[in-house]
Amino acid sequence: MQLRNRAAYGFLAPYLLIFAIFWIWPIISSFWMSFQNTRVNPWAFNPGMNWGRLFSDPAFYNALKNTMIILVIQVPVMITLATVIAVLLNSPLLKARGIFRFAFFAPVVVGEVAYAAVFRLMFNLDFGIINKLLNKIGIPSISWFAEAPFAMALLIIAVTWRWAGYNAIIILSGLQSIPEDVYEAATLDRVSKFKQFIYITLPLLRPVILFCVVLSIIGSMQLFTEPFLITNRGGPGGGTETLGLFLYRQGFASLNFGYASAIAYTMAGLAIVISLLNLWLGREPK
Amino acid sequence: MAELALKNVVKRFGNYEIIHNASLDVADGEFVVFVGPSGCGKSTLLRMIAGLETISGGEIHIGGTIVNDVEPADRGIAMVFQSYALYPHMTVEENLAFGLRMTGNPKKDTERRVQRVADILQIKELLNRRPRQLSGGQRQRVAIGRAIVREPQVFLFDEPLSNLDAELRVQMRVEIARLHKELGATMIYVTHDQTEAMTLADKIVVLRGGNIEQIGAPLDLYDNPANQFVAGFVGSPKMNFMSGAVIEAQGQTITVALSNQGNVPITLPVENFEPRIGEKVTLGIRPEHFFKAGQGDADLTIKVDVAEHLGNTSYVYANVSSGEQIIIEREESRNESNRDTLTVAIRASNVFLFDNTGNRIR
Repeated sequence: MQLRNRAAYGFLAPYLLIFAIFWIWPIISSFWMSFQNTRVNPWAFNPGMNWGRLFSDPAFYNALKNTMIILVIQVPVMITLATVIAVLLNSPLLKARGIFRFAFFAPVVVGEVAYAAVFRLMFNLDFGIINKLLNKIGIPSISWFAEAPFAMALLIIAVTWRWAGYNAIIILSGLQSIPEDVYEAATLDRVSKFKQFIYITLPLLRPVILFCVVLSIIGSMQLFTEPFLITNRGGPGGGTETLGLFLYRQGFASLNFGYASAIAYTMAGLAIVISLLNLWLGREPK
Repeated sequence: MAELALKNVVKRFGNYEIIHNASLDVADGEFVVFVGPSGCGKSTLLRMIAGLETISGGEIHIGGTIVNDVEPADRGIAMVFQSYALYPHMTVEENLAFGLRMTGNPKKDTERRVQRVADILQIKELLNRRPRQLSGGQRQRVAIGRAIVREPQVFLFDEPLSNLDAELRVQMRVEIARLHKELGATMIYVTHDQTEAMTLADKIVVLRGGNIEQIGAPLDLYDNPANQFVAGFVGSPKMNFMSGAVIEAQGQTITVALSNQGNVPITLPVENFEPRIGEKVTLGIRPEHFFKAGQGDADLTIKVDVAEHLGNTSYVYANVSSGEQIIIEREESRNESNRDTLTVAIRASNVFLFDNTGNRIR
C-alpha cells in the first residue's frame, strides 16, 4: 500500500471502527438473531420459529395492513401537496419568498414530542380546536383517538403536515433546474400554462418526484413516532399500530429480539421491493 | 410572410431605460441582423418583438397590425433560442410537433409539416432521438425546425450559433442563408459576431447602449459607416484609428498631423467642416488600405510587433507599445517578421475622419 493511502486509512480508521461496530455488526447480528429462539437461555438456533410465527401472526398482519394503508394514502397525498406547494413557492408573484420557504420547511425541525403534544391537544375530543371548527360548520365532534379510522386519518394528517414542506423544498430545487427558455419556447408554441405544467414541468420533475416517493416509502415503512406519541402507542386497540411500533413492542417491551429482528428484515425487504417497483414504474421511457 | 416595423420603441426596467426610441422597417422577406456588443440591447429588442418582454413605449407592427398587446403565440412569429430550448424529455419528432399537437392541429397536417421540416433540414434519421443524444449542430437544426414547423410570418433568431464550434458555425451560417432563400421568410437575427452579420444580412442594424447607431446594407456599413463606433465594429480585423490634430485648413482641404505616428502630415479633402487649428480628430483606415512606401499620400514608419501569416493573406500588428495599434492586411507581408521596421503608405481617398465625439467628418 502506498504511504499516502496508508495515512488516509489511518485517519479513516476511527470512523470505520465505529461504523463496523455500531452499523455493520448489528445488521449481521440481527440477521442471525432472526433465526434464533431468543426466549430460552442460551439462545437456540431455530429458523422456523420467528419466520414461521411472522407469517401466521394476526398482530403482524394488522401492523402490515395499517402501514400499507398509511403508505398508499399518505404518500400520494403528500407528494401531490408538496408539488403544489413547490410550484406556489416558485411563483414569481410570491412576495416574501424566503419566509414562506422557511415556514413550509419548519415542521421538520420542530421537536417530535412537542409537535405530537400539539396535535393531541388540537384533536382533543372535548376542547380541541379541530372539533370546535367542525362544530362551527355543523359537523359533530369526532372522537379522533377512540375510533380506529379517525385515528388513522389523524396520523396521516400529522405525517403529511410534518413532511410535505420538506418534500416541497426538494421538488422546488427540481423546478428551479428547469430552464426558463423551455417555457418561453412552449409559450411561443401556443401551449397554455396548464398544459405546460402537465407536459413539461411534471415529466421534467419525474426524477425528483421519484426520489421523494422513495424517501417517503422508506419513512412510512419505519413510521414510529406518530403512532407512539400521538395515537398513544398504536391505539385504539392496535388500530394504528404500524410495523415500526410492532417491532418496538416485540423487541423492547417483550424483549423478544429474534422475532423483532425478523420483523425488521421484513420491513427493510418490503421497503426495498416497493421502492424498486416505484423506480421501475417511473423509469424513463427508452 | 409579413413586414415588420418598430416605431419609437422604448424599454425600461424600473427607472432604467435600456432601449431608447428604436425605429426600424423590415420589408417582407428581408433578412435583418441586429448586431452590437454585449449588453447593447439587441436580445431585449428581439424578445420585445417576440412578446417575451413587455414594451414600455412605442409600437411594434407585424404584418400591418400593432402587436404591443398581442400574446406572443398570436404574433405569427417563431423564435430560435441561443440555448436551443428543446424539450429534453421529448424525441425530435415530438419536439417538432408539440406545439401543433397541443393546439389541436389536425393530425395529418402535423405529420405533413414535421416530414417537410425533416426533409428541409435533413434530420429524418434523428426523429426518434432525444435532444441529449444529438450533437450541438443537430440540436440547432431541430430548434430551427421547431420554428419552421409553425409556418410563422417572421423568424427570430437569438444568437443561434454562439454555442457551436467555429467550423460548425460556418456550416450552419450557410445553412441558415440557404433556408432564408428557400423559405423566403422575414428573418431577424441577433448576433455579436460581425462576420455572421456581414454574411447573412440584407440589412444590418448596429446597436450600442440601447441606441440604433446605423441601419444599412452590409457593404454600406462597411464603406460608409455613420460614426467611429460603427466603423470600428463592422469589419474584421477592425478599422485602425489614429489620433491626429488639424495643423492647416484651407477651404475644402485640411492637413492633419498623426500625433502618435511621428506627426506625419496628411492632407485630406473635406466638406462642411470648419476646424480650428489644433482641433483633435481621429483618422480611420481599414487594414487592407496600406500600400508600399511612396505609393500613397503619406508614409508611416511602423514597428512590427507580431506578424500572422495565414497563407492567403498576412496580418501585421504594429506599434502596440505606442498605445495605438495598427493592423495591416496584405499579401506581400509574407516575409515580414517580428521587430522589423516597416514603411507603409496610406492614401487620402481611403481615410475616414471622425471628430472627437466619434461623429464622422469624411
